[in-house]
Amino acid sequence: MNNQPSANKFWAWFNPMGRQVGGWAFILNRITALGLTFYLFLHLIVLNQLAQGPAAYGGFIALTENPIVKLGELLVVAAAIMHGLNGIRIIFTSFGIGVTRQKELFYGFMVVALVAILFFAARMYMG
Amino acid sequence: MTEKWNITLRVSRQKDTENQHFDDFKMEVNPDEYVLDAVERVWAFMDRTLCYRHACHHSTCGACGMRVNGVEKLTCITPIRAVTSNGATLKVEPLRNFPVVSDLAVDMGAFYRKMEVVSARAVLPITEAEIENPATNWPQNDAQFLRLSDCLECGLCISACPVAATSPEYLGPAPLAAAQDVGIHRNPELLGIVDCEDGVWRCHSAFECTAVCPSFVDPARRIMALRTQVIGAKLGKLFGKA
Amino acid sequence: MTKPHAIIIGAGFTGVATAHDLALRGFDVTVVERGDICNGTSGRTHGLLHSGGRYAVKDKESAIECIDENTILRKIVPQVIEPNGGLFIAIEEGDLAYAEQFIESCEECHIQLDELTPQQALKLEPNINPKVLSAFIIPDGTFDPLRLALAFAGTAKHNGAKFRTYTEVQGLLTDGKGTVTGIKVLDRASNKSQELHADVVVNATGAWAGQITGMAGLDAPVKPTPGIMVAYDQRFVQRAINRLNVPGDGDIVLPQRRMVVVGTTSFDAENPDYIPVTDEQIKIMLDRGSELIPGIRNAKPRGIYMATRPLVGGGSGRSIARTFKCYDHKETHGIDGLVTITGGKATTLRAMAEKTADVVCAKLGVTTACVTKETPLLSYRQYYTIPN
Ligand SMILES: Cc1cc2nc3c(=O)[nH]c(=O)nc-3n(C[C@H](O)[C@H](O)[C@H](O)COP(=O)(O)OP(=O)(O)OC[C@H]3O[C@@H](n4cnc5c(N)ncnc54)[C@H](O)[C@@H]3O)c2cc1C
Ligand code: HEM
Ligand code: SF4
Ligand code: FES
Repeated sequence: MNNQPSANKFWAWFNPMGRQVGGWAFILNRITALGLTFYLFLHLIVLNQLAQGPAAYGGFIALTENPIVKLGELLVVAAAIMHGLNGIRIIFTSFGIGVTRQKELFYGFMVVALVAILFFAARMYMG
Repeated sequence: MTEKWNITLRVSRQKDTENQHFDDFKMEVNPDEYVLDAVERVWAFMDRTLCYRHACHHSTCGACGMRVNGVEKLTCITPIRAVTSNGATLKVEPLRNFPVVSDLAVDMGAFYRKMEVVSARAVLPITEAEIENPATNWPQNDAQFLRLSDCLECGLCISACPVAATSPEYLGPAPLAAAQDVGIHRNPELLGIVDCEDGVWRCHSAFECTAVCPSFVDPARRIMALRTQVIGAKLGKLFGKA
Repeated sequence: MTKPHAIIIGAGFTGVATAHDLALRGFDVTVVERGDICNGTSGRTHGLLHSGGRYAVKDKESAIECIDENTILRKIVPQVIEPNGGLFIAIEEGDLAYAEQFIESCEECHIQLDELTPQQALKLEPNINPKVLSAFIIPDGTFDPLRLALAFAGTAKHNGAKFRTYTEVQGLLTDGKGTVTGIKVLDRASNKSQELHADVVVNATGAWAGQITGMAGLDAPVKPTPGIMVAYDQRFVQRAINRLNVPGDGDIVLPQRRMVVVGTTSFDAENPDYIPVTDEQIKIMLDRGSELIPGIRNAKPRGIYMATRPLVGGGSGRSIARTFKCYDHKETHGIDGLVTITGGKATTLRAMAEKTADVVCAKLGVTTACVTKETPLLSYRQYYTIPN
């Protein structure tokens, strides 16, 4: 028989079809979490390379002026903000706070996240 | 005059070892009819091989759960008007996370086993139903009254849960909600059943269960409340309160 | 000695209760149902666990059957029952005129009855019509239809019965001399045909019973008489509310979970497969239902549906006695191997099964006695959890 739940359905959680707000929030939380974890590793590798000497350091700083890398940085900041705020929402509901208002809580936190992301974007590109 | 709509009912089909495919049925409906009525008419007048589950037609038995345009619904109380429009296509599929027996019919075995494991209550004193609709001040002697519990054991919540999709062993929303309803104080054995990897801690707060539950159970809230019960019981143990 | 094999066609109340009884009496039982459990009338039944009060005046036989079975079911399947009793209420002078016969008949049928003043009635059920003139408490109840059937089916399964759902009977097998020896079925889940053999075939297809006997060239005196029910989204009462008068349309309101369900009507139909809902019938439920509970006017319908009674005997509509009939077709038409059970009510499912099992046992020379009265049923969930 088919259609059974199974551990092989590795990507089943990722499918946004037929999901509602809470489900999308969960997917977003997991994607940002994986992204942040990936970034953490990248960060450690780069740090390791920078420790090789001043030439490597200078080259890297030049790289951060590249618009694509800058966009990447902004994505990391955005992911961190969304994941962090969403995480706080989950912590709240886990303690029974706002459980029946979780949708509104999610929207609220995401508005805060948007404002924060715009703030960081402005600082990165204009400051 | 009753309104008439022409819709295409797109029905998921699957016999035996076949792969899932869809059959289209063009039909005239009254938009105030329920999705289940349309499915039943396909069987009655268009294709006698269509298999689907149903019984009560008024949301007490929990047999008619399907995915309607991708979202879990009790088809017997879902008016066609609420899920499609005149001339449109309405897609019905079997529940996710349950083995398909045939077409729209799924096997509830694993789910009912979990409901049994947590000794879910089928009837309970009226005064213990958390929210009453309408909120009435029933007379004092109401404790003697029993009512069927809110949970219809329809499985919509299991179908919608993204965690249940990847972890067949996860107890899932309805059984955890039922455990909360029974309460660890009333049945201390529940502690061992829910306080484990596949129990109350497995939930990732996607709240899909509450979004689809047709019967006021609000499983997500109850899962959170069960966590509080579990922590309470463990703290109680820690400080030697039996 | 090998066990005698019985095939039961139909997994409505009658079929599953008969499966339970025969399994306990040592039969090898196979239930064949074209849909899932409760595919037919049983799933869509109103859900009143009759005390017999409704039938006491006109049909004492039915009323006594009801009160006896009501008492038994409360003991053997409390898991599916809201056992909160019922009220018969008089709203108009005409209703009061019925009261006298009602009291007398209930006493004759041993249906326990308590008279209430309007004030007492309104204190117990604040949402009934405040114009109530008189009220009686009787031991009605309500049940969840599917779970009632599952409890019987699950217990039967535990005792060895096999359930073949999504399996449609398309013909009867005979030995060439007229004796029925089995059935020809189509497995709808796999689209494969198959023949199943048995020592006896029990036709428990309710309103469809005539189609099965037709396969043996026989008529069955079953009349499909559908009725409507409307579920509203508020639980106004705890008890079953009946109009105190001659049984009629829309005169019962039942609480169930967070709803009340108003029922029903009664008319004749030819094809029981699909009965369309009509606006007139919905209106009758709203009008009549709100005479009992005015709040229904402001409630939202949650489910509207039709079910088809398998009435037996001549005449039409409500005047037919509600009792059931069990036919051994050897006695009625000289055709051996086939027994038809039809008519009755959900409330009397166990009694119908007992009678049918008695007939089947007598045919096959089995002498085991019926024990279903004293046998508590297992959890309804067992039906799903025991593998087939
Ligand atoms: C409107 C209404 C309200 C009612 N209210 C009440 C009430 O409140 N209380 C009460 O006690 N009783 C009530 N009843 C009566 C009760 O519901 C019925 O008497 C009872 O459900 C009949 O059960 P059954 O098993 O005989 O028939 P069904 O439940 O109809 O079972 C017959 C089964 O046979 C199957 N079948 C048919 N043909 C085939 C085939 N060829 N092959 C395989 N399977 C087949 C069908 O799918 C069906 O599942 C009500 C009835 C109606 C119509
Ligand atoms: C403000 C800081 C943070 C907060 C409040 C926070 C909160 C949370 C919470 C509550 C969860 C559980 C979600 C669930 O139940 O599904 C979670 C999951 C997770 N977090 Fe964070 N987090 C933070 C920062 C980070 C960072 C910086 C990383 C990566 C380096 C990270 C990686 C993860 C991962 C991998 C998961 C698992 C995701 C899943 O299973 O779906 N988190 N976080
Ligand atoms: S909790 Fe709600 S969705 Fe889940 S089985 Fe019970 S009634 Fe259905
Ligand atoms: S048919 Fe019973 S809940 Fe829909």
